[in-house]
Amino acid sequence: MRPTESRLLRGSAGLAAILLVAAACTGGASTGPTSGSEATPPPSEAAATPPPTDTPPDQVTGSLNVLDWSGYDQEIFWQDFKNKYKNVTVTFDFGNSDAEQYTKMKAGSQADIFHPYTGWLQFYVDEGLVAEIDTSKLKNWDKVPDSFKKIGQINGKQYFVPWDWGFTSILYRTDKVSSVDSWSALFDTKYKGHISMWDDGPAAVTVSSYIHGWDETAITDAQLAQVKTEWTDQAKLDKTYWGGEPDLVQSMASGDVWLAYAWQGAYATLLGQGVPVAYANPKEGRNSWVGVYGIRANDPNYDLALRFLDEKLGTLTGNNLVTNYYYGSSNGEVMAGITDPTLKTAFSIDDPSILQKTNFTPNLTAAQRDAWTAMWTEVKASQ
Amino acid sequence: MTAGADVQQRPANARRPPDPRRRSFWLLSLPSTVALALFLVVPLLLMAALSFRADLSGQLLAPFAPTLKQYQAAFASEGYWRLLGTSALIALGVAAISTLLAYPIAFFLAFRAGRRATIYLILLLVPFWTSYLLRVMAWKLMLGSEGVINSVLLGTGIIQTPLDALLYNRGAVVVTLVYVWIPFATLPILAAMGRIDDRLHDAAADLYASPWQQLRRVTLPLSLPGVVAAFFMVFIPTVGEYVTPLLVGGPSGTMFGNIIQDFFTRAANWPLGSALSMVMLGATLALVMVGFRVVQPRRLIGR
Repeated sequence: MRPTESRLLRGSAGLAAILLVAAACTGGASTGPTSGSEATPPPSEAAATPPPTDTPPDQVTGSLNVLDWSGYDQEIFWQDFKNKYKNVTVTFDFGNSDAEQYTKMKAGSQADIFHPYTGWLQFYVDEGLVAEIDTSKLKNWDKVPDSFKKIGQINGKQYFVPWDWGFTSILYRTDKVSSVDSWSALFDTKYKGHISMWDDGPAAVTVSSYIHGWDETAITDAQLAQVKTEWTDQAKLDKTYWGGEPDLVQSMASGDVWLAYAWQGAYATLLGQGVPVAYANPKEGRNSWVGVYGIRANDPNYDLALRFLDEKLGTLTGNNLVTNYYYGSSNGEVMAGITDPTLKTAFSIDDPSILQKTNFTPNLTAAQRDAWTAMWTEVKASQ
Repeated sequence: MTAGADVQQRPANARRPPDPRRRSFWLLSLPSTVALALFLVVPLLLMAALSFRADLSGQLLAPFAPTLKQYQAAFASEGYWRLLGTSALIALGVAAISTLLAYPIAFFLAFRAGRRATIYLILLLVPFWTSYLLRVMAWKLMLGSEGVINSVLLGTGIIQTPLDALLYNRGAVVVTLVYVWIPFATLPILAAMGRIDDRLHDAAADLYASPWQQLRRVTLPLSLPGVVAAFFMVFIPTVGEYVTPLLVGGPSGTMFGNIIQDFFTRAANWPLGSALSMVMLGATLALVMVGFRVVQPRRLIGR
């Protein structure tokens, strides 16, 4: 890529072509973008797929492509399906941020199944990228609590199958930081050079909203400007922004970072490594998010994809998620069966008041997404 | 390398009278032209078109009403402009330092290494046998607060507390990039030196030129095209660099390329990312043109 770039720059042809395109754009097209807001057609019983439900699992053949976050491709995270559907090939593509998953699907990825998180669900429906879930075919559906089912519903229809969930709060080293009772600890100059924020615009807006008691679904331009100023100043206190959870775990274990915006997986991992850490219960409440799976709109593989999601809700798979990644499962039986004290602490199972105070991530609109992410890049640009 | 070869050949081709070999020239350049058109020009045009979209909603390839909204947003933020300037300065520094450091290496390989030159050249290229990512991560181990440099300094008692200033800033980005680019920068200089007739040195020595005078009056002028090629080969991609700042830059080491990458992978805002790419492309092009004005590679080649 590098040498070719220089080649291009030296020719004026590139510039001329750009002007051409610009001219073409202005010349053509007065029709606006076709809005995909019309609801996705109901799941089709496509002829190409095996007849529903009746075929025994071990006789089902075919292949599935899953767009997932790296790590979730491990067999333990789809163990029930693997064990039952021995003749189905499952392949994985990766998108390691919500934006990446979304843009891949938007750009026409042929993945049958994809894995977005709360906050990023509405656009899939608005743009007609996701098929409705026929829950009557999911044998494990009854094991999912209603509160979780609701999270996968957009415009009153079930578009997503909830699968994993967890808290977001402030994680801190107890040997360096005495106690944390508010999200504003991320702005505390005492910890200058030892703080780490997640590299994410909507997350920054969320934290500021908690601190100021704003309604994060109705942020005004003035509030957004204030958020930008606050985080521009906050950046000077940060050691680094973290991108993926392993980065965060490593920098907290090494002692570079004392206090961070963190998911509970990092908390549980560090607990497991014997690092002295605590997970704050801020007075503004923790945040919680839920990961869901969706099936691509008009997927000829719809029935097989549905079987995959059904098995995703299986107990073995759920247990593997809980014990390996320390994230919650949407399968209620799995959560009820947790006995390990570390996990009980991680999920705050013994203290229901924490969950009652928790703020769940609301879904963004496309305008909020663009405004908030642009705010964050400007914060990063002005360091 | 490409830039170097171009600098060399373009004037020569322009002067050559039409001859039967012309046909084979077209045939030979056809595959690369097609590849460039398909994999560079077409995507670039798509990106240019994308930068005139209002947002990412609707079909990506369907017609849309073009707007300058993204460019307005890009031009409105002074943060982006300052960062573009900073990135260009970083690239300038990195290109100057790596070219400077690569020159003696190339000189040694071309004139002093003798029969072992091939082995040394392979050794120079050994780092490319491992992934780029791995080499950058290695610098994290060097510069980290519990890294090699801090450990040595602490162990020898030179410092009492680890230096935090080594990693996660612009300095770390520059150091890492210089390291990464030195072997690349060596190659065009080496190629230019390879074309220098060794007997010129003998001639210079016969005329009582000191080694220093030989370098200044003979080797340096003749190798300048390679030096210029090396400089721009490092400068141009470094302006848009994003992986290294991402890994060792920290919040204060962000470069313009990171902003563009963010709009593509973390923000799902391809139109604004495309507009910023176009701005960077234009700015880099302008800088390179100014640079070529100043050094005038054609004059350097002396034809």
